[in-house]
Amino acid sequence: MSKVTRRLFPIILLLAAPALRAQDLKLPPDIANLSSKAKETVEVNMDGPMLHWASKFLSREDPDEKQAAKLVENLKGIYVRSYEFTEEGSYTQADVEALRSQFKSPTWSRVVGVRSEHDGENVDVFFRMENDKMAGIVVIAAEPKELTFVNIVGPLEIDQLSDLGGEFGIPRVKTKPLSSKSMAKASKGEQK
Amino acid sequence: MTPMNPNPNRLEDRLRQALRREEPPDRFAASVLNRVAQNSIARDAQKQSWLSVFSQPLVRWAAFTFVSICLIAEGLHYRNQQHERAQGETAKQQLMLALRIAGSKLQLAKEKVNEINTNRPESQPGNRTPRSRS
Repeated sequence: MSKVTRRLFPIILLLAAPALRAQDLKLPPDIANLSSKAKETVEVNMDGPMLHWASKFLSREDPDEKQAAKLVENLKGIYVRSYEFTEEGSYTQADVEALRSQFKSPTWSRVVGVRSEHDGENVDVFFRMENDKMAGIVVIAAEPKELTFVNIVGPLEIDQLSDLGGEFGIPRVKTKPLSSKSMAKASKGEQK
Repeated sequence: MTPMNPNPNRLEDRLRQALRREEPPDRFAASVLNRVAQNSIARDAQKQSWLSVFSQPLVRWAAFTFVSICLIAEGLHYRNQQHERAQGETAKQQLMLALRIAGSKLQLAKEKVNEINTNRPESQPGNRTPRSRS
């Protein structure tokens, strides 16, 4: 390693640090405190080593678990927060907006953004792209009595994503499969 | 030419005398039994000398301690394995729960997008916009 490279190395590290830290998404304090109001709270924090360790216990015979093992093979983390409330209005739109605002950086693309006036179900899906490959996905689902935040870190293929949406006992919607492009178009259409 | 035996009966007598039944000495049976008994005693003594190592209290305690340590180590190893397995099962359940939630919310997003696509009125053939085609 040349002297110049050696001197530049700490600077490169410092510059790369924010990009590395971009994976550590933080929940706004108001949302983090929602568990005290919630009837049911689910908090899952699984980083890479934990994921791989947990996947060792997945059965290779059970189809769901086999599918899950395949899905988490290359993932670096799964973080889930889900709050279920007894009453509507337990969280504010400002809380959700504070969460959404974290994904307004160029590294994130909002591929789905649904705002439903009649049932109050709002869903946002953000993709994190790196070298034209998906490096992460964030789902924010704000329903009248439920608020869910899912952050999956790591490479995830579109077909795997589709499997994620249709497996594990959740019935698959019988429509023609949506590509990420059509999802993005739909999102743009909604935003107009 | 060999000389002929002048008295053939004498040879016969000598043979008979050589092959005659002889009674064993009086103590023969006793001495055989005694020697057999001595051999078995020697064998027993040899066995006892090996086991006699454990007759010493220090060796006995050392052996007892060694066996106890082995048993405890095996017990701890088994307990650790059980503990690790239980933790792994919990982690697996958490992972499956996280995937189920992620899957259901993505499914919800898909449903909403499909709803929008199906509810959107088909535009006139001459008035197609990029939005209506999506």
